[in-house]
Amino acid sequence: MDTTRRLTALAAGLLLIGSLLVVWAVFQRTNPVALTPSLTGQTEYCLTCHGDLPEISTSHPIKSFGCVICHGGERLALDKNLAHSTLRGGANPSALSVVELSCGGSDCHSGSPQASRDHIQRVMTSIQATYTGAIANILYTFGAQPDLKAHFGAFAVIDNETSTGITSLDAFESSKEDNPSIQTFGKNCLTCHISAAPREGDHFDRLTGCAACHTPDVESFPEGKTHGLTTAIPYTQCNTCHNRGNYDLRSMTFVERADQPTDRLHDYYQPIAQFTRCEWTLDCVDCHTRTEAMGDGDLHSNQSEIQYIQCKTCHGTLNELPQTYTITSEDDLALRLAFLNPVVDLQVGDTILMSETGEPLWNTHVLPDGTYEMTGKVTHQQFTFRPVMGTQCKQNPDEQESKYCHQCHAEER
Amino acid sequence: MIRCVAWLPSLLALINLMRPSFFHHLHPPTIPAPQAQWRYTLGAGGIAVFLVLVLIITGALEMFYYTPTPDQAAHSVQTITYHVTMGGVIRNVHYWAAQFLMILMTVHLIRIVFTGAYKPPRRFNYLLGLALFVIVVLINFTGYILRWDQGIQWALVVGTNLLKTIPLMGDYLYEILIGGSQPGSATLIRFYAWHIFGLTLLAVILMGWHIFQVRRDGGIAVPPPSLRTDLQRITRYELVRREVLAMLLTSTVLIVVAGFAPAPIAAPIEEITAFSSDSRAPWFFLWVQQMLKWGDPFLWGVLAPLATLTVLVLIPYIFPHPHESELGRWFPKSNWLARLILTMIAVLVLGLTLLGV
Amino acid sequence: MPEIPRRDFLKLITTTLLTACGLLGLDTVIRFLHSPTNSPPQTVFDIGAALEYPVGTRTLLPQIPVVLIHDENGFSALSLICSHLGCTVEKKADGFICPCHGSHFGENGKVLRGPAGKELRSLRVETTPDGQLHLFLN
Repeated sequence: MDTTRRLTALAAGLLLIGSLLVVWAVFQRTNPVALTPSLTGQTEYCLTCHGDLPEISTSHPIKSFGCVICHGGERLALDKNLAHSTLRGGANPSALSVVELSCGGSDCHSGSPQASRDHIQRVMTSIQATYTGAIANILYTFGAQPDLKAHFGAFAVIDNETSTGITSLDAFESSKEDNPSIQTFGKNCLTCHISAAPREGDHFDRLTGCAACHTPDVESFPEGKTHGLTTAIPYTQCNTCHNRGNYDLRSMTFVERADQPTDRLHDYYQPIAQFTRCEWTLDCVDCHTRTEAMGDGDLHSNQSEIQYIQCKTCHGTLNELPQTYTITSEDDLALRLAFLNPVVDLQVGDTILMSETGEPLWNTHVLPDGTYEMTGKVTHQQFTFRPVMGTQCKQNPDEQESKYCHQCHAEER
Repeated sequence: MIRCVAWLPSLLALINLMRPSFFHHLHPPTIPAPQAQWRYTLGAGGIAVFLVLVLIITGALEMFYYTPTPDQAAHSVQTITYHVTMGGVIRNVHYWAAQFLMILMTVHLIRIVFTGAYKPPRRFNYLLGLALFVIVVLINFTGYILRWDQGIQWALVVGTNLLKTIPLMGDYLYEILIGGSQPGSATLIRFYAWHIFGLTLLAVILMGWHIFQVRRDGGIAVPPPSLRTDLQRITRYELVRREVLAMLLTSTVLIVVAGFAPAPIAAPIEEITAFSSDSRAPWFFLWVQQMLKWGDPFLWGVLAPLATLTVLVLIPYIFPHPHESELGRWFPKSNWLARLILTMIAVLVLGLTLLGV
Repeated sequence: MPEIPRRDFLKLITTTLLTACGLLGLDTVIRFLHSPTNSPPQTVFDIGAALEYPVGTRTLLPQIPVVLIHDENGFSALSLICSHLGCTVEKKADGFICPCHGSHFGENGKVLRGPAGKELRSLRVETTPDGQLHLFLN
């Protein structure tokens, strides 16, 4: 009978030890870090582990946005697997498959075209996302379609308000094609559109979706610590796709450029390219505009339909000055763009250059003496330049494209 | 120091006064010593009762935080698990106590059949026990559904759709169970009501009856005194001490397991019809899930489990009873057929379960 | 030194250990029940530009609820939560009247008639460098 008593005393001791062990283990766990962003009003605990991440951008302050509104995920979970199980697009909520959920909404990036807040619609139909030009050219070349018009894109997309006549694209599936060259094209040459995973290698390293461009220098961050969005996109980011090599149409493979330059002059363009000084001292985004890169909301068949900025956009011609306009409203697009990347102190009343289609070149300024000033969106460097009009330029009046400027002004390297 | 020690006897006297005689009175004054041993009873029935108490207490605590609405349920489970102080441990204790209860009920059933204790007059109590078994399985299943996360989605859809396969009354039963033509908020609130009230009330009543019936039937099954070799008996005090020991050991195991083995949890259900990556039934229905792969869902998902249950119900009625002299010990020779049948069922269920894991 | 029977000694140990377990369990349950799970209420309100409230105005902000006062001394705010039992007081011609128990407060929050014993709470208002007003509930 005393056995039961002794065992009971022992069991009571075991229970106390077991309970203390469990209580100790529970209080050993990291204290949850709560955040209640003002936009959602719902407490989330992501910062318990991710407190060391930098704020993604000044336009998305964490106090207002928090994490979940963009990234999804389980806001309450403290277990890594559960917390991450419902993340949108894995680590990249801007992946085009989920971007509408992550970045969309009429107050955010799928607003009206009139207010220039239709970023997602424009990107989904843009050449950089659909890759229509390359696909249409290949299909035409190998006789799989009768014209050079876009019929297929990297993914299926519909444009209900088209002004180019192309209302929809079917998804290009090379496996359904008979021609072996088209099949090889599908296998080797679809790594550049922004919804595709990039090729292997540091030079090609970028994310997909919006972050393909707006989250630069991915390779410089430690694993999993990439957190940034910017409109100051350096040329190196554009060069994760552009200027990295050429497609060999015979073998349908991508041939990487052979040189390994370490300086800007040689790194910017491929060895065979012709360019002027400003083209490699500036960054791509200093001249090329938002609609060129992100699309104008319509489906196009070729890059040439959307890329239009030339030397003359800023320099004019012998007979014409470049177009300018004076900012009259606080809501002017130029002021909104300058606010996102405040490299210039732009004010209502300032006169700036304007592209042929009326896009503001907001990092330029018309100076009182009739010359112009441009500020590098990435480098913050200031450049002054003159119009062609009134100079000794001998250019033929009907040869105004940039390639003719290159004939005299190309840089040697 | 001496003064302190001198206080001890009076302190002990106080403890003796505090002895709760109510609990002793729930037990018979004495019970036969050979049958009061662990190796005879395995302590399964008693520990099962204790686990029910644990489940009621931890369940009541969970009710303070759980919200039975489709958009809140899984979030409130996450809140309990991660943000309520010790909530994770309490939820885990509730979860593990429920799973242990399933195992101990099965062990108890096997003990009863393998010792021939279902022999009349205990036949009715055997049926009460089986009813309790079925109800506890249902409570476990409804509780599992209350998580309302992607881990239970498949089980909810398949489990309730099985009802529809019953001829004539299937659709009607389905609508009664889930409160509509498709699982939704009505389903969740119904499962909640069944789990915390309807089934639990029934289980507690049957449990009381089951325990009362043990004493009504003359206590633990033993041969008549003339046929016994060992006439020793233990007092109810010793019996309660052994029960307390069992409770303490059970509590220790439960708390330590709960402290380090988390109960399953998953992301909330977005759409009840959406694809869910976790398509496994709760572990105690894996054997049914395995049978469903064989074909006709009514046959394998409804009739086969019911047939199994029917065989269990019939054990005291169609198989030879052990002789009186064989009571109170394991493996009475005369009921080998009943043991064989139960072993076959157990092996079959276990085998199917292992196939499904 | 008195003899302590072996059994009683075992019982004392068991009881002590179980009491400790019980206290631990009780502490656990109390902590469990005392875990706030709702997001904490807002305590700082952004009430817009200071320019929208000229000198000499008293503006009712019923959502908070407060009355924002801008006089020669600057901005201040008066809580409209009755100091008696927490009903929201109503603006009347001569101050504020609580609909629940009839307490009457003056324009400046002073008690004119009970049962309220304390005046209406005065709240802190701060102007940010860019001219926005922030109201603090505590």
